[in-house]
Amino acid sequence: MNAQIAFLRKEIMEQTRSGRLMLLGVLFALFGIMNPAVAKLTPWLLEIMSDTLAGNGMIVTTVTVSAMDSWVQFFKNIPMALIAFVLTESSIFTKEYQSGTLVLSLTKGLHRDAVLRAKTTVLVVLWTLCYWGCFGITYVYNAYFWDNAVAKNLLFSVVCWWLFGLWTVALMVLFSVVTGTNTGVLLGTGGVVFVSYLLGILPEIKVYVPTQLTDGNALIYGTAGTGDYTAALIAAVVLSAACFAVSVPVFRKKQL
Amino acid sequence: MMEMLRITGLHKRFGDKTVLNRLDLTVPEHSVFGFIGKNGAGKTTTMKTVLGLLKSDTGEIFVNGEQVVYGETVTNRHIGYLPDVPEFYPFMTAPEYLRFCGEITGMQKTDIANRSKELLELVGLEGERHRIQGFSRGMKQRLGIAQALLNRPKLLICDEPTSALDPVGRKEILDILQTVRTQTTVLFSTHILSDVERICTDVAFLDQGTVRVQGKLADIRTKYRREEYILETEREADALRLRTAFPAIRAEGPNRLIFCESGKNAVFDVLRFVTEQRIPLLKMERAEPSLESLFLEVLEQ
Repeated sequence: MNAQIAFLRKEIMEQTRSGRLMLLGVLFALFGIMNPAVAKLTPWLLEIMSDTLAGNGMIVTTVTVSAMDSWVQFFKNIPMALIAFVLTESSIFTKEYQSGTLVLSLTKGLHRDAVLRAKTTVLVVLWTLCYWGCFGITYVYNAYFWDNAVAKNLLFSVVCWWLFGLWTVALMVLFSVVTGTNTGVLLGTGGVVFVSYLLGILPEIKVYVPTQLTDGNALIYGTAGTGDYTAALIAAVVLSAACFAVSVPVFRKKQL
Repeated sequence: MMEMLRITGLHKRFGDKTVLNRLDLTVPEHSVFGFIGKNGAGKTTTMKTVLGLLKSDTGEIFVNGEQVVYGETVTNRHIGYLPDVPEFYPFMTAPEYLRFCGEITGMQKTDIANRSKELLELVGLEGERHRIQGFSRGMKQRLGIAQALLNRPKLLICDEPTSALDPVGRKEILDILQTVRTQTTVLFSTHILSDVERICTDVAFLDQGTVRVQGKLADIRTKYRREEYILETEREADALRLRTAFPAIRAEGPNRLIFCESGKNAVFDVLRFVTEQRIPLLKMERAEPSLESLFLEVLEQ
């Protein structure tokens, strides 16, 4: 247990001292601020452009924005934040394989499962903190400027997106133990998400693939009910658990 | 004497290349064991298999009487390991890294603090407060020894600890290894034979994945003892003539030659040639055979 805590402490120290924690913190905070800011600035921007638009035959009338516009922005921006997260953290395992730092720890009797648990915990906690931090900032600004009550199923829709991120983290872990390089992790994770996205285009399969969880707009506008997401939620949870479960034996036998 | 490490019938292939070929090796307790072989002979592969980092095709390994299982690290609690180019977490300082190592080994807090202080003094890093990312290769190697010795391992495995260092760094590492031999059994691989001569009690010659000879250095010296002669000619051209006439003669410099007495009175043949050809000599000396000569002879057999 002490070894597990020591390795976890080392992971946290690495996130802090390498500046990755700071980078992700700033990035997610910026995304969180940007969502209400863009919504707030839209009428002003349209007003500035009204003369040009009038020249093109478009008449700008009074534009009213609500918390809904800010939440639409949230669901538009969060994929970029997730991509930034994956890019920043994709080397969490592979850097250790390539530099050989893990070998020394393992030759001291550190169990491989402890390494896997520590790194997975850091990724899950980091994603959770960053994501809910970003959500919290947007929520507080929205509550200050407008009323969050206009968005239907808000909590459910953001939980869905958080779970989608968690599935992505599970894929990162799986591809980190299966492949040995950063490129392998990025291609593997990106590839599976892309395939899920392509499958989601087919109406019959759409509700069963995890990418369905990213369609938060349908939920907040009320065009889809929470029941439409149950299958995708179960799929994401099962697939994430499967990724973590498969990673354990693979990592135990991985040649380092 | 107890065996600290015993390897029997170790076989390993990478694709169609056989790296270890039924390798047998026994390292007695409290020895400084030189594992000698050319680059690519299989030294690192052997060591990584002992550490459970590589899977062997066949064969058994016992460390302090316990069998090594690939992917598991239980036997590693007996081992301290120093890789050829040790890599540490660059964002830590040397004391932080030793604390981390102590914690993952399950040492007590006070023991970690005392032992770290002691070892950092031993390797000359006691005043170093910078992060490891600014360390030179020699400093990393010294920290490598400190981390390897932290939990008082019964077996210290060093993979070519001196080959990447300058003469000063090499001397420092050898001095440290010599100091720690009282505390632990040392197995170190190398192709630098002068290092072996300086500190080893036992040796094994590895060639093409097989141990050709192993045992006490003194015993091997006695077994393979043959007269060795050093000859220095005045002119380089004469040295070349001698080498053409006697292919067994090795050149050690432009006009410095070495040859062994191989039971056929080679020395008299060479002297006859020198007399007949009227070759002026600077020196002719009967010498103790070097480890290099022994190694080459073993390989030739």
